[in-house]
Amino acid sequence: MIATETASAVRSPPNQGGELRGPVAILMPVHDGEPGALGRTLGTLREHAESFGGVVVFLVDDGSEDAVHLRDLPAQTAAFRVVLARHVVNLGQGAALETGRQLALAQPVAFPSLRRREAFTAYVTMDADGQHLEADARALARAVEEGADVAFGNRFLGDSNVPTGRHAVLVLARWFERFITGLRLADAHNGLRGFSRTALERVPIRQNRMAHATEIKLRVSRASMRVVEVPVSVRYTRETLARGQRNLSGAIILCDLMLQYLFGE
Amino acid sequence: MTLAALCLLVLVFGLVAFDWATLRGKNRRALFLEVAVFLGGALFIVFPERATALAHMVGIGRGVDFLLYPTVIWLVRESLLSRRRRMEDSERLTHVVRELAMLRAENLVQSAGAPSHSAGVTASLTA
Repeated sequence: MIATETASAVRSPPNQGGELRGPVAILMPVHDGEPGALGRTLGTLREHAESFGGVVVFLVDDGSEDAVHLRDLPAQTAAFRVVLARHVVNLGQGAALETGRQLALAQPVAFPSLRRREAFTAYVTMDADGQHLEADARALARAVEEGADVAFGNRFLGDSNVPTGRHAVLVLARWFERFITGLRLADAHNGLRGFSRTALERVPIRQNRMAHATEIKLRVSRASMRVVEVPVSVRYTRETLARGQRNLSGAIILCDLMLQYLFGE
Repeated sequence: MTLAALCLLVLVFGLVAFDWATLRGKNRRALFLEVAVFLGGALFIVFPERATALAHMVGIGRGVDFLLYPTVIWLVRESLLSRRRRMEDSERLTHVVRELAMLRAENLVQSAGAPSHSAGVTASLTA
C-alpha cells in the first residue's frame, strides 16, 4: 500500500492477511456484458464472501438490452447478497455508480446484527466484466478498514497485462489528472476503488459517462482525504478491450469535463 | 447578379420551401418568423450595396461584416444556451431514471417505520 502525498498517517494496525471485519459493499455497474462474465464475477465474490466479513453487491443494470435478473445470478447466502437496480434507459457508467452509491448509503442495516452507521466497513467499486479480481477488492477494503478514506487501485504495481496503446493513453491521463486534481497517483481511470462511508458520502458523482473517474479524484482532492494506492491486477482480454474505453474516449471525457466546468456546480 | 448570389438565393428559397412543406401544420408562427428573416437575407443578397450603406452608417467597412458580427455573436450565445439546456434535461432524465431504479430495486425489504413513498432507498436487507 502506498500513501500519496495528500494522505495523512494511516492509523489502523497493518493487517495484510486474514479476514476483514466487514461486511463490505460492492458497487457494480453492468451494461450488456459478455454472457457469463457477470455470473462468474459474482460467483467468485460469493465464494470468498466470508473472508470479506460478508458482501452485499449493489448491482446496477444500466439499461441493458438483455436485462439482468436476480434469478440468473448466483444464489445468495448468509454472507453474500445482491441488491439489483435497473436503469430503464442507458445513462452511463458514472450514473450507474451513483445509483449504486446512493443505494448503498441508504441501507440502514446491511446485516441485522449491525448498527446503522456501521453497516459497511468499506465500499468498493468494481467492474462486472471479470477485469477485476476479488482479491484486489478485498485489498482495497482492507486499506479502508486500516484507516484510509479512499484507496485507489494501481494496475501498474500489480500483475496487469496492460496493452501498449492503453498504457500510453493512461500515462497521458495520469499527467492530466495530476494537473487538475493535484493528486499524485500513478494510475488513472482505474475502476477499482475503496471508500470509507464518510468518504463515499462526500463523493457524489455528477458525470454520467466515463469522466466520473476524474470527477471522483477531483472531489477527493478538494476534501483533503487520506488517500492510498493499492497494487491491483487488471486482466485485459479481447472482450474487455472491445467493450471498454477506447483510446479516443479521452476526447469525450475532456469534453464532458469542460461542459461540467462551464455549466455544472 | 453574381453566380454566388444566385446559389445563395437558391439555397434560401429551397430551405424555405422545404420547411414550409414539412412544418406548415405544426409551427406556423416560427415558420413565418423564419420566412421573414430569410426574405430579409435574400434582399441583402440581391442588393449587397444596401448592406454596405448600412454598415458605413455604423462605422463598419463591409456590408457582409455588418450582418456577420451580430449573427456570429447570437449563434455562439445560442449554442452555449442549448448546451446548458441539454445538460439540464440530461440531469432531469438521470434523476427520474435513478429514482425509478431505486424504488424498484430488488432484494430490498422495507424497514419498519419507513415512509412508503421512499420504500427503495430506506429499505434494508433481511437475513
